[in-house]
Amino acid sequence: MTTVRDGRGKRPAAEPGTGPADGPARTSARPDAASRTAGDDAPSVRDLRRGRHRDVWGMVRRRLLFIVPVTGLVSAGLFAAAKYSPFDPLVGYLGTRYMTTTEADKAIISEQLGLDQPWYATYWGWLQDLFGGDLGRSRSFSQPVAQVIAERLPWTLLLAGAGLALAVVVALLLGITAGVRSGGLVDRAVTAVCVVVQGLPPFVLSLAAIAVFALTLGWLPAAGLSDGGSDPTAGGVLRHMLLPVVVLAISQVPWLLLAVRESVVTSKGEDFVAGAVSRGIPTGIVTRRHIVPTSLAPFVNIVGVRLPELVVGAVLVEEVFSWPGVAGAIVTSARDLDMALLAFLTIGTTVVVMVGSLLADVVVALMDPRVSTDG
Amino acid sequence: MAVTRITHLVRSVAHREGNIVVRARAAGPVLPTIALGGVLALVACTTPGGSADGEGAAGDAELVLADGYELGGYNPVAGFGAAGEAKMYDGLVRLTGGEGMPGFEPALAAELPTANDDATVWTVTIRPGVTFSDGTTFGPEDVVATYEAILDPASASEARSSFDMIDEVVETGDDTVEFRLAYPYAPLVTKMLIGIVPAEAVATPGLAAESTLNSEPVGTGPYTLVDLSPDRAVLEANEDYWDGAPEIKKLTLLYVPDDNTRAQRMVSGEIDGTNLPPLLANTFEGKDGMTVTAQTSADWRGLSLPTNNPVAGDPAVRMALNLAADRQSMIDDVLGGHGRVAATPYPEVYGEAYEPDAVFEHDPARAEEILTDAGWVEGADGIRVKDGQRAQIALMYNSVDTVRRDLAQAFASDALAVGVEVDLEALSWDRIDPRINTDATLLGGGDEPFDPDTQSYDALSSVFVQPDVGSVYANASDYQNATVDAALEVGRRSLDQAERDAAYREVQDAYVDDPGYVYLVFLDHTYVSKDAGWNMSGPVLEPHAHGVTWGPWWSLQSWTRD
Amino acid sequence: MARRHLVVAGSVLAVVVLYAVLVPLLAGVDDRVTDFAQARQAPSAEHLFGTDSAGRDLFVRIASGIRTSLLVALLCALLATVIGVVVGVAAGFWGGWPDRLVMRTTDAVNALPHLLLGIVIVAMFRGSLLAIVLSIALTHWTQVARIVRSEILSLRQRPFVDAAVLAGASRRQVAVRHLVPATAPQALIAVVLLLPHAVWHESTLSFLGFGLPPHEPSLGTLLEEARSSLLLGGWWTLVFPAAVLVVVTLAVAFAGQALRKVVTPPQPSELRL
Repeated sequence: MTTVRDGRGKRPAAEPGTGPADGPARTSARPDAASRTAGDDAPSVRDLRRGRHRDVWGMVRRRLLFIVPVTGLVSAGLFAAAKYSPFDPLVGYLGTRYMTTTEADKAIISEQLGLDQPWYATYWGWLQDLFGGDLGRSRSFSQPVAQVIAERLPWTLLLAGAGLALAVVVALLLGITAGVRSGGLVDRAVTAVCVVVQGLPPFVLSLAAIAVFALTLGWLPAAGLSDGGSDPTAGGVLRHMLLPVVVLAISQVPWLLLAVRESVVTSKGEDFVAGAVSRGIPTGIVTRRHIVPTSLAPFVNIVGVRLPELVVGAVLVEEVFSWPGVAGAIVTSARDLDMALLAFLTIGTTVVVMVGSLLADVVVALMDPRVSTDG
Repeated sequence: MAVTRITHLVRSVAHREGNIVVRARAAGPVLPTIALGGVLALVACTTPGGSADGEGAAGDAELVLADGYELGGYNPVAGFGAAGEAKMYDGLVRLTGGEGMPGFEPALAAELPTANDDATVWTVTIRPGVTFSDGTTFGPEDVVATYEAILDPASASEARSSFDMIDEVVETGDDTVEFRLAYPYAPLVTKMLIGIVPAEAVATPGLAAESTLNSEPVGTGPYTLVDLSPDRAVLEANEDYWDGAPEIKKLTLLYVPDDNTRAQRMVSGEIDGTNLPPLLANTFEGKDGMTVTAQTSADWRGLSLPTNNPVAGDPAVRMALNLAADRQSMIDDVLGGHGRVAATPYPEVYGEAYEPDAVFEHDPARAEEILTDAGWVEGADGIRVKDGQRAQIALMYNSVDTVRRDLAQAFASDALAVGVEVDLEALSWDRIDPRINTDATLLGGGDEPFDPDTQSYDALSSVFVQPDVGSVYANASDYQNATVDAALEVGRRSLDQAERDAAYREVQDAYVDDPGYVYLVFLDHTYVSKDAGWNMSGPVLEPHAHGVTWGPWWSLQSWTRD
Repeated sequence: MARRHLVVAGSVLAVVVLYAVLVPLLAGVDDRVTDFAQARQAPSAEHLFGTDSAGRDLFVRIASGIRTSLLVALLCALLATVIGVVVGVAAGFWGGWPDRLVMRTTDAVNALPHLLLGIVIVAMFRGSLLAIVLSIALTHWTQVARIVRSEILSLRQRPFVDAAVLAGASRRQVAVRHLVPATAPQALIAVVLLLPHAVWHESTLSFLGFGLPPHEPSLGTLLEEARSSLLLGGWWTLVFPAAVLVVVTLAVAFAGQALRKVVTPPQPSELRL
């Protein structure tokens, strides 16, 4: 959540500062220089770099301090809400036998499973177990939570990693082209397509992809990791993951692409580009060497800010394609109100997203010295 | 190379700007490269090399089935396999298949059980020379332990309420067991289908749902469980099975909850068989190499009409709704032809116990007449009113089932045609529970269809009108009919087959004069299987549960090749 | 230019609203009447968009779906805006540590994946319309709060505030009587811009089975039905609701953005020289 300001101090409309009425951009490197007396040497590169690093570390520390209470609040809220929820977790636990179990027996089971404690007791117990290394047992998967995560996390990483990578590549290529030739045919076409795709929820894209490629054309499998029950093989997994990865990538491309395009257009209007053009440097080189590098910082920033979208996309794609990942498990555990797994997944996702966004901000801060590290 | 080039560019641009820039790597283009590399590494690491095992020459003796029902929970004490379909266990008796009512033949019993004169004490002789999958010998103490565990309150067994006629089970000799009942119960043999577990496994009392048997079953059955994960269970043939080793050596069960996904995998040929809703199954009709099987069942769908509800409890409304429901159209259109009309909980397959005249014609005109005669006058909006009470009923159904949803919608539409408004509510079972006695619920039944008593007693007997008797769903309509009660008791106690049949026919006659539910249809369970040259098990009457433990695979241990 | 966009988007939106309102009225079709014998018929002269799984005309059913989806979305957007305005005014007006606290809270809420929170809330309070509305509103109020807050910050410096204070108005009176009404245009725009998000969310939740019940028509439940109908051969059950979803979302989004451009005076930096 750092604010990115370019050299002219122009702030995008309605973007918040971290405090009221922020002034024009300040580089963090200057204060050290300004504090020296006139007779000193100019600050060495090393000093400036160290100063910058210190500022970035400060930002990291502040942000981590922020993440802790948020996580705590979210987890406590989750347990409290679950307790007041009218939903009976025994429904998921007993499944089809729920109807034939007498009330007396359900009470016994509730008591044995610890379902009738007050919410803070359950929460406290969970916290204690968590810090003791015991993640609990997932009712909906009939496995220890740690095992569920261990088995499913790699597949989500695979899906999300490949999807994000593909989306980034496509967004960069098309976004730079569209931005450099802004107003042209390519730009208008690409922007229009992006706007349309952005309006479609990922599950619609998934359904359409299945309808066309799996059902009608039969080129690709519609679900799962591997053909019926057999152990996954490298080739089989690649075949099965093609459709989900492409759909996930498509769902993330629009906002990535528009962000790239936006920052390219902004950079295009900068003085140094005008300067380069006026010096007679060919457009291609101007693009590659001048525009692209300065557009990258805002782009990485956007990736960090929009990480939750990737998570949401992954959840929906995994659900529709029956991809055995951790994101799809969120839906399953929510359906059965399997607190052990749901709590861990929700909080885990929150922490991952916030840390991911912090990482992106660190990268941006290191890349671009004009960026403030107050965030 | 591109990476270093861009890094160089960043530095050169910065230099030209006059800023002194920290030598940062251009993380932007690096990220995707790293991600791509990581992706490839992940793929390489997480997938084992080599092709799936078991395919090839041994592939013939294997089956891969996809089930819509969850795996695990393999503890008979918790109610698993109560109809004897569990592949890892045997019960004292087992079903014999074929058209019509299934018979019973001895399994772990040496011969069919015998009863005393008033059906309160039953004696069973145990088959010798049988061992469990963990090597221990099977003996009468295991039978005693299994039933005692089911009846033990500490087990909180979901099946306990259906075994409450049993007072105690006692070993009476080296190879005999006696069942002592609390009241005379003629069809006790239906309670002997459930699998027997080793006495050691239930030695310590505890929740049946938490027992290790749920994921590590130990039984005498034709198959043993060798691998269990949330979406896959692998069963292998028990070569020492007392009835001869099965020819199918390996059975893989996949848990695929979504109907469409199962159908897609069937289409792509990935699996050998699955259960599907009727309309989806019909899309496989006529496909080369695929067979659609429809098994008859006593699995009924209908709705309860609680007596406490001012509209649903009105006898005129109850009769009118039974006449207004277009059951045949539901079968043709919602079930794709796979079903039978149901007026009472007794299917035609019960033979002599079935009363062919106990039916409701589809007669909306007569329904409207009945309503008008009873004082339900049509209001301005088409809905009838009587004494200020609008003919409006809330109908709750469990949202996860598309067949229930469609039946509910069809019924609501039929009711609307005669001026009764039915408001649908899709809820989960725990939300339905508290309202079960005040609002209509779309229910299913037929868990234990092998005898008219187990099929209907829970639904029709007024014993369950008391709140703490039995489960909440027993007699959800709070139906009370003295003739029906009396006849049900006769059927339960008498050992004379003709007397029982007459009693159940009487129940049906009395019921259609004073209905308490609207029974809609008996489902045919539909399955799709790949043709592979096996002589499969014949048909069998199926209970309410219809995963791939039933269907053409209900006795797959007896399949042979030509 | 912006006005032209507004006119185009507005007209599309008007067409959609007319469709949603008029078609069910004119067709006189009762949603509760089903005809399973006519289920899943392809588009024809009689059924423009074909029929759904219960034999209902899809053209009419989609109209009902739009109505339900938009109504729910409107409720969510309104609630989110109310929360956002209250929070934004409080933060912008008081400044200092309440402001910082609010900003941190909005950052936190923004950091959490919206749909995830939505799923969790709705899963716990299933079948309740309030839960659906809350789950969407509680995750989307931050955008409104930010906009309102920066409006308040810039308005705070304006002379009319000083004038009001000099005239003896208390801080609360200044806030309520002067600042809040001044944020009204931005708040209105925020409501409009939130609508596509709310529709998106509601349809996703309904698709997953957590939202509206399956027999109620909404764009989400129609798409969930499409999932089964695809295999039974009904492409129209997916194509038409999806197309309508896109059109509605885009029209509302464009209208909102155009409205914003029209209402907000251009910043000096945006002027083309």
